Amino acid sequence: MVNATKKWVFLKISSVILIPLMLWFIINFVSIYDKNFDEVLVFLTKESSKFLLSILMIVAFFFSALSISEIFEDYVHDEKIKNISIKLLYSSAIIIPFLTMIVIFNLDI
Amino acid sequence: MDNKNPLSPHIQIYSWSISSLISISHRIIGVINIILLTIVCFWIASMLLGSTSYEFIYSILNSFFGKFLVIGITWSFSFQILSEIRHLFWDLGYGFEITTSKISGLIVIFGSFIITILIYILGRQLI
Repeated sequence: MVNATKKWVFLKISSVILIPLMLWFIINFVSIYDKNFDEVLVFLTKESSKFLLSILMIVAFFFSALSISEIFEDYVHDEKIKNISIKLLYSSAIIIPFLTMIVIFNLDI
Repeated sequence: MDNKNPLSPHIQIYSWSISSLISISHRIIGVINIILLTIVCFWIASMLLGSTSYEFIYSILNSFFGKFLVIGITWSFSFQILSEIRHLFWDLGYGFEITTSKISGLIVIFGSFIITILIYILGRQLI
């Protein structure tokens, strides 16, 4: 399979996974955003929340890295700047979800 | 030497259609959403600092700006969800006709506001 095709397939698979996860997150976020520390902590330390939030972060940053790299391909014409931007994008798409997962699994009531 | 090549239509004189509007909005909102999700990561990380430090974030989220921010996030997520579903239908080979494409574009625009209201009602358990 050509690299561009692989990228497209990964984008579509992550998009299908992301839609229900985004819905789940935003409904729950709307219900807890104005609650106090203890109530937010109760939500974040539920096993289901830990699992779904981790998957959301991994898939969302993976999806974004692939789709934003397309934007760089289209609008950044300097090859050097484009390559550095894409490398920074891919690195942040690994580091941010990884650190967030460490936080999520270290939160305790 | 001056470039004599013809220029493609510039954004300021471009004749906008629903499809082009949704296309550029989809890209812009996709970037905004990942920035918002990064802020959510910081919000989660702030929980490690304890309840006293959380007071500041609590006061922001309970302010008018906080409510505006949350409704904004809800709308941008709703827009991306609907626009992504539209793209998935295209990938399956449906909805390429100009009329269908215009209708699905309008569904994305107006549907995003309706879904924002529904999510807010559902999340706040207002029914």
